[in-house]
Amino acid sequence: MADVLVGFCAGVREGDLVTLESSTLAAPLLRELYRRVLEAGAQPLSRITLEPLTENLLKLGNDEQLAWVNPVRVDDVESVDVRIALEAPANTKRLSNVDPARQARYDRSAEPLRNRYLERAAAGELRWVLSAYPTEAAAQDAAMSLAEYEDFVFGAAFLDDPDPVARWQEFGERLDRLAGFLATKREFRIVADGTDLRLVTEGRTWVPSKGRENFPDGEVFTGPVESSVEGEIRFTYPGVFNAREVDDVRLRFEAGEVVEATATRGQEFLREMIAMDDGARRVGEFAFGLNEAVPMFTRNTLFDEKIGGTMHLALGTAYPETGGLNRSALHWDLICDLRSGSEVYADGELVYRDGQFLSGSS
Amino acid sequence: MPTSKPERLCRCAGPNPALAITTRPERKSGSVRDPRYDALAELVLDHSLRLQAGQVLRIEGEAAAAPLVVPLHREAIKRGAHAYAVLDLAGLKELLVAYGSDEQLDFVSPMELREIEAIDASITIWSESNTRSFSRAESARRQRQLTAQRQFGIRRRDRIASGEHRWCGTLSPTEGHAQDADMSLEEYEDFVFRACHVLDDDPVAHWRQVGERLQARADELSSVRELRIVGEDTELTVVVDGRTWRAAHGRQNVPDGEVYTSPVETGINGTIRFGFPAVYGGREINDARLVLENGRVIAAEAAGGQEYLRSLLELDEGASGVGEIAFGLNYEIDRFTRNILFDEKIGGTMHLALGMGFEVLGGLNRSALHLDLICDLRREGEVYADGELIWRSGQFLEDPQPARPAERVG
Repeated sequence: MADVLVGFCAGVREGDLVTLESSTLAAPLLRELYRRVLEAGAQPLSRITLEPLTENLLKLGNDEQLAWVNPVRVDDVESVDVRIALEAPANTKRLSNVDPARQARYDRSAEPLRNRYLERAAAGELRWVLSAYPTEAAAQDAAMSLAEYEDFVFGAAFLDDPDPVARWQEFGERLDRLAGFLATKREFRIVADGTDLRLVTEGRTWVPSKGRENFPDGEVFTGPVESSVEGEIRFTYPGVFNAREVDDVRLRFEAGEVVEATATRGQEFLREMIAMDDGARRVGEFAFGLNEAVPMFTRNTLFDEKIGGTMHLALGTAYPETGGLNRSALHWDLICDLRSGSEVYADGELVYRDGQFLSGSS
Repeated sequence: MPTSKPERLCRCAGPNPALAITTRPERKSGSVRDPRYDALAELVLDHSLRLQAGQVLRIEGEAAAAPLVVPLHREAIKRGAHAYAVLDLAGLKELLVAYGSDEQLDFVSPMELREIEAIDASITIWSESNTRSFSRAESARRQRQLTAQRQFGIRRRDRIASGEHRWCGTLSPTEGHAQDADMSLEEYEDFVFRACHVLDDDPVAHWRQVGERLQARADELSSVRELRIVGEDTELTVVVDGRTWRAAHGRQNVPDGEVYTSPVETGINGTIRFGFPAVYGGREINDARLVLENGRVIAAEAAGGQEYLRSLLELDEGASGVGEIAFGLNYEIDRFTRNILFDEKIGGTMHLALGMGFEVLGGLNRSALHLDLICDLRREGEVYADGELIWRSGQFLEDPQPARPAERVG
């Protein structure tokens, strides 16, 4: 895994300044990564996180402390060439009882930093990859044993293949073709149970996500024209954000803005997040999940948004490389299973049915 | 990461941290709270750093320090400070030393250099789960890596000297440190927290009192011209005329408890035997005996590690000179534990450091070395100040008589 992350995903080169970020639970993989980065002639710098510290700040910090942006983090964002981050949670629900308003204040303070980060990434100055190291907490969220979850993670990353990089390259070519096809379309309509949504992607870029910035990967995404989103959508999977879950989210859009948001559980939280700032009620990302080795929902967006046969919308900030203009402290991916009883039309033509693109599209 | 003491160079300059992962994840997550860690955190913030709202605090240590990092961060947040932790992981620096190119060994993070300028206070937590992880490393490569990192410590020292920065070094117990001390982890925790006096009703008041007492002692010693130390195989005269003694009472180290100065560089003569092993760079020197003439070591023997000792003496010009002479006065520290943070404060001992002296106290010796060697004077040691007996069997004979109380430097 370390080889693939350092070589294929992040493309670490001689002289690169590389930060390695995770919790101590990922120590075995962090050590491997550190060594690979050294061997590549680059400079590894570890950034070890400790979950309880965020909890300390969110529960006890005053407004000024919540709004403080650590200059050390700013400097990292401005200075590093490569960032490799591993999710390795000890408890994914640690922040469940934090006041959402305090959480939102904290998230807003970090927004300029994230925008700058994405900007440098879009400009090609900063390469990054987010991956996951299997932990008990993540396995628990996926309702699996740790051993099963490890198999799931490594399978999703094609690491059970004798030549994972070849598999990713082959998969990437398919995604390239699909992105090329989607780029010829102006407008999309998604029809499924509780869903009839239209949006325009004309003038925007479809990005094939093929194992560079996320690993595992497998999606094509864009930033839709902000004012074009119209209609309603019902998300089949729970929305998971900041250690909270919102079930059966339904959104209605008019002229690109959420005008109605309901959920059977967590509706208040959903509405608070949407009210976080102006950009939070608009769509920043529209994408199709295409990794068939991610067949089930595991309560982790890194995997869930890639489930083969799904699409997702993100409320909030757009990725600059798509041409999306929306900016927000929020980026919340909400996922819709399209594997049964669903259709997608592009410029009026049926291009996708029951979780698959029709032949000729990729 | 710089771990050497910025102003006083001695204590942990040698055995640099091997990075450690906690052996007790339940503590790391804070689910089993030991109030002694909370008390140590509060002592460091309120007595050592006197942390103020709005200040930026960096907490640095290894991941194994989590049981102390979490309460330090929490209490700092409660005090209105902007606190964050920079943690290292066991084994990474070992990989750098083992596999890094010269360029990689020499690398100094420009971000970290800028970071020093932006922080008001920092805490270094020594917390190794394996204190010997560099034992088999090629020492030239290890030295090269340490040399590159030295400029962090130097810059921090400058900022401390100019009053822009406050720093404290302390320890969070690990199995590794316990093993070095020949103790179980439980026993070692008891030892550490006792030495830090965090079980007292008011630890801050305790250390304030220690400060007053040690300051009076330092003032008294500052008027002494010459010390003569007599003990087993030891007969040494040390000229301290004109040098300032300083009291160490929990500001820059917790635990603390010593008075120290840099002696007159040419004024050390005689022989001295160090009953405790010295641990430096992860290696031990046992039962060292030195002969000094006009301040220079002219003969050095050791029952163990003699070659290593001699190689250290040849490190540079100042390595065979003396940078520090001190009395260890923390009587809760009653045994040798192979950790200089504690060993140099053992109540009833004296120590002498070869190498770097303290400029701020008038010391002129300069070296990359600062090797503390500890002499146990608890059984039959005597110390004379200008011919008068002032210390016997590990105790000063009289309470200090402050001569010039106005001259406090602590």
